[in-house]
Amino acid sequence: MGSAPLPKWASKPCIMGIDEAGRGPVLGPMVYGCLYCARSYQKTLATLNFADSKTLKEEKREELFENLKADSSLGWEVDVIDPRELSAKMLKREKINLNEISHNSAIGLVRRVLNMGVLLTEVYVDTVGDAEKYRIKLSERFPGVKFVVAKKADSLYPVVSGASIVAKVTRDRALHGWMLDETAENMHRNFGSGYPGDPETKAWLDHHKHPVFGFPTLVRFSWGTCTPYFKDVVYPT
Amino acid sequence: MEEEKSFRVSTPDSTIQGGGGVTGTIDLRRRDPSSAVDLTDRVHLLPCSIKHDGPCPVSHYFKPKKTDVVVDGSSVEEAYFRGRKLQGITVPLPEGYRGYVLENKKSRKGKGLETSEGEGEFGRWVSRAEFRNLTYWNHDIVPSSDDPLVRSFHWFSVADAVSDTARTSLRLFRVWLGITLDCWFLILIILTRMFKKVMFLSLRV
Repeated sequence: MGSAPLPKWASKPCIMGIDEAGRGPVLGPMVYGCLYCARSYQKTLATLNFADSKTLKEEKREELFENLKADSSLGWEVDVIDPRELSAKMLKREKINLNEISHNSAIGLVRRVLNMGVLLTEVYVDTVGDAEKYRIKLSERFPGVKFVVAKKADSLYPVVSGASIVAKVTRDRALHGWMLDETAENMHRNFGSGYPGDPETKAWLDHHKHPVFGFPTLVRFSWGTCTPYFKDVVYPT
Repeated sequence: MEEEKSFRVSTPDSTIQGGGGVTGTIDLRRRDPSSAVDLTDRVHLLPCSIKHDGPCPVSHYFKPKKTDVVVDGSSVEEAYFRGRKLQGITVPLPEGYRGYVLENKKSRKGKGLETSEGEGEFGRWVSRAEFRNLTYWNHDIVPSSDDPLVRSFHWFSVADAVSDTARTSLRLFRVWLGITLDCWFLILIILTRMFKKVMFLSLRV
């Protein structure tokens, strides 16, 4: 997971960026990734040209990720949130919404890195929900850390662009290697990007729907995309 | 070996007014001992209603896993259904009881047995499988001995005890009634005799 014995630079003031991948798709995991380094390394980071991960081709992203991993002045962590966990939390009796799940994931990453002994002083994140409320929430939990919550943070701060690469590549790999839990016949893994608008994803959903079970657990049942497929077969008691 | 048992059954949407219902038999015998289907450990009671009646590839989609949590000596299991995370526990059926999966082999009216009332529909249920335990599932509530199913199973032993007591009480009551009635008859006879004597004496006079 990108951690070896704590590098020397981690005991100096460090900065971290957090970004997510896979928030919008109707299937697969949502991944939160972070990238951290010594504050003094910031300038070098800016030259590494991460740009906006969404505009990059998959092969390019893979290449950048491998470069990041190889760079001994950088550390990274991920939180892969299983689609079953997303569905389960969003469909609880006392529902936990996607924003809250996102916040908790980011908080988890900060805590993990701090617990490793890294001297985090600044963290940059993309907005989820109300920016100021989010910033306050984070600052309350980690009083010694300065949080910067901004829209399009991945295009403003290189640490966040880097985190975006980490998250995106991790999600892509998780989806490619996804083993379906279900053992029914005629299931395949050509689910496309997983976005509701993707024709390949729509075709996959159509092919894999079941009147009793709905879909394989790869699918996020809490997504509005799924509702038209459920034909009133199951009622709560 | 269980025999055929006859009984009267009301179908769920029959009204009391119409006196509707179905008479039929339940045949609990195993069709063929070598092919008896044992569904022990494979019956699941979900916390929802499913409007589907028929075959279903349950084991292909429903994948329970044991957790480390133990309640009343049994492991709590975890499974997902339609996105919801369920927690379940396996409970044995009460002592002296067994579960059956019955198939309704609907036959045309009559079959030699005319029912005296109602619609005359004759049902014949046969046992297709048996089970000795079931796993019930809760949504968002950890299984415990307070769950309705567990408590309803406890009722069986309570009901047995109550009916035993009732049976004994009834017997005692009958005995008491018998004695009491006998006494009354005796008193009546004595009174009648006395009355006759009085009448006779008064006539004499």
